[in-house]
Amino acid sequence: MPTISLPPRCDRAAAEALLPEMIAALGSGPLAIDARACTQIGQVMLQVLVSARRTGEGAHIDASPTLRDTARRLGLEAELFDDTDTANVSGGRGARA
Amino acid sequence: MNPEEIQAIFFAECEESHAAAEQGLAACKAGTHDDDTVNAVFRGVHSIKGGAGAFGYIALQGFTHTFETLLSDVRDGTVPITEPLIDVMLRALDTLSDHVAAARGLAETPDDAALQAELTAAMAANAGAAPTASPAAAMVAAEIIPDDAEGISDFDLDAMLDAISDDMAPAAGGTGGAESAAPESTWVAKVRPHAGAMRNGSEPLLMLREIFDLGGRCVECDVGQIPPLDSIDPGTGYLAWSFAFPGDVSEASVRDVFDFVGEECSVAIGDDAPMPPVRPAEPRVAAAAAVPSASAEAHAPTGTPADVARAPVGAVPPAPPAPPAMGQSIRIELGKLDKLIDAVGELVIAQAMMAQRLTGDGLAVTEELAMLEGLTRDIQESAMAIRAQPIGSVFSRVPRILRELTTSTGKHVRLEVSGESTELDKTVIERLGEPLTHLIRNAVDHGIEPAAERLAAGKLAEGTLTLSAEHRSGRILIRIADDGRGIDRERVLAKAIEKGLVAPDAVLSKEEIDLLIFAPGFSTAAQITNVSGRGVGMDVVRQNVKDLGGRITIESEPGRGTMFTLTLPLTLAISDGMVVNVGDQTLVVPLANVVESLRPEPHEVQGLGATRAMINVRGRFIPVLPLHAAVGAAGAVERPEQGVLIVVETEGAGRAALLVDAIVDQRQVVIKSLDTHYRSVEGVAGATILGDGRVALIVDVDGLVAHSLSENGLLESAAVEHTPVAQAA
Repeated sequence: MPTISLPPRCDRAAAEALLPEMIAALGSGPLAIDARACTQIGQVMLQVLVSARRTGEGAHIDASPTLRDTARRLGLEAELFDDTDTANVSGGRGARA
Repeated sequence: MNPEEIQAIFFAECEESHAAAEQGLAACKAGTHDDDTVNAVFRGVHSIKGGAGAFGYIALQGFTHTFETLLSDVRDGTVPITEPLIDVMLRALDTLSDHVAAARGLAETPDDAALQAELTAAMAANAGAAPTASPAAAMVAAEIIPDDAEGISDFDLDAMLDAISDDMAPAAGGTGGAESAAPESTWVAKVRPHAGAMRNGSEPLLMLREIFDLGGRCVECDVGQIPPLDSIDPGTGYLAWSFAFPGDVSEASVRDVFDFVGEECSVAIGDDAPMPPVRPAEPRVAAAAAVPSASAEAHAPTGTPADVARAPVGAVPPAPPAPPAMGQSIRIELGKLDKLIDAVGELVIAQAMMAQRLTGDGLAVTEELAMLEGLTRDIQESAMAIRAQPIGSVFSRVPRILRELTTSTGKHVRLEVSGESTELDKTVIERLGEPLTHLIRNAVDHGIEPAAERLAAGKLAEGTLTLSAEHRSGRILIRIADDGRGIDRERVLAKAIEKGLVAPDAVLSKEEIDLLIFAPGFSTAAQITNVSGRGVGMDVVRQNVKDLGGRITIESEPGRGTMFTLTLPLTLAISDGMVVNVGDQTLVVPLANVVESLRPEPHEVQGLGATRAMINVRGRFIPVLPLHAAVGAAGAVERPEQGVLIVVETEGAGRAALLVDAIVDQRQVVIKSLDTHYRSVEGVAGATILGDGRVALIVDVDGLVAHSLSENGLLESAAVEHTPVAQAA
């Protein structure tokens, strides 16, 4: 399973830059997205991640605490992650505090 | 697009917003406002605030927030519009402009504490009726600190989420995804950001942060519109959210959050309101031209009516017909325009050279040549029109100058402006600000009397300053008139004699006395103020205007007021000139200086000693200046009756008659600066390239005449000779 790593700042430019790579990777099977470095995220990247999850065989996202938290506040946690167990979330919050 | 470019767009938009707000407040002051006027002021300030937040200009954002909160009260009618309130808001606008300058790194961050307190007092004075974002005020200023300084399009949800985590904690629930329906005491707003909300560094999630600040929490995120990855368009907003708000949060305050992006974020209010539909990104000329990398946004050109927010949800609706393109514009780097103007200048020269060569070879292809000439002129005019800007951009600074003068002098002045849409070249506009400021300061400080004196003279206590601009025969006239006391000529003359600027027994006409105020070091102000009176202003004004190829004249009537008239060329790149031959040289005399040309009869010229001569033109004696002597041309006509005399009007030395061999042509010349290519030469304003490829010098008539006359000792006699005539006239 190919892995695509997201940069710390997942702004629009990052989303546009990584989109072709993701499309290509998803054409040949499931995709792993390593978002553990992500500290900032914008709407464009969020949309791309949701779409990647819903395209082809889907994508597994390994999220940073920031991404996990942002997704939860914006009602996207179930949409983006395979497991929505709370321990993961509180762990993320603990790390930030 | 790099951060600097985005920032430049933000600052350009700041200027536009500021101008709109200034205009709105001016209308309020004049009593010609309606609901929309206050709204426009609000929108202007709000969009500056929104940008400031996105770029991390904390001080600017904090100040605009306070200002905006007051404006919101005014807009809602909870704070009545009164004269003192408008004055406070105008001062706030000035400080806002200082804040923007500070954000640009052009100035120090202004100390706005007192003004902020005043603005806040204006809100609080209203029985605490401000329903909107005040609780968020402190947070807004403190929160958005980007992780690193270069992070222009940065957004830091982490910090935001930290700040609001307490508010959100009860709702977080740990289930993720859609929360259960809102409790009864809440209401729901549905929000869908569109393409424009994600452009130029805007980030919808930052706006959602303000939603959280207001107490909103996410009920549901609509992901149903997101297409598969291979057909996703990053520029389109596919996500939409439902937020639940406590009952005490007003609908207006929620809508205000999205005001910055206007229709680029659809908001529908109510639990049963349909979710606003997706609006595909449309191409935007401005963005595309300035930002090649934004081309990903360029998509099928489908516009959407403004009220789509209330349209039913469903599958992506068929694209409605595109609305007419309104005020499409592009931002162009000035350097590119200058290159275009340069190229057009060369084209004009090349065209003239070709015409001359063809004529020289006996090929009279007049029809084609005339067509080419016409087209060249069209291109030239279009190119100049691109650089042209309405003079309103200079005039719009005047209200602020007047406000500052009111504070420092205590004189209240009403401003009347006309012709602000008159267009002239950007370079001229840029260099006009300084002389105009001097003249206005001078008019208020010296011209307009204190209120008591005005009332005693039977005038209104409030002075009037009139600014106007108009095109007249290829030049532009700018008038600055006051209704003050006029020039006190006795005092000016006494002062000039005291300073040794004129001889004690000199007899001067009214006009000549008026012109003395332009003399270097001249000031009649009894007391030097920080406004004016140091005597460095008016001669600088005249020099500035002269550098622009223009002239300044004064009309003054004691007790009625003074009017300064600036006559300026429309452009500095091309000018009308008279091409003359002097011996072995070809020179260009700027047409702006030329009054008339004549071939004198022998008896009209009177010798004064061996080398000097005067000519009697309709009863007025004018010194004759042989141009060949000034430029060192060989083999030129020496006797006035054998050549042609060109009567020119100068700024400082009155009229003079330039003796040349012959007038060759009268045509447009492309001005090439000598300073940039060689060095500044006295008596020469620049150079141009003629049709035959030769370089011709453009005569600086003012400098040349003043220099020659003082050398010949004719300056005084010129003044004495023509003074009686002027007085009789």
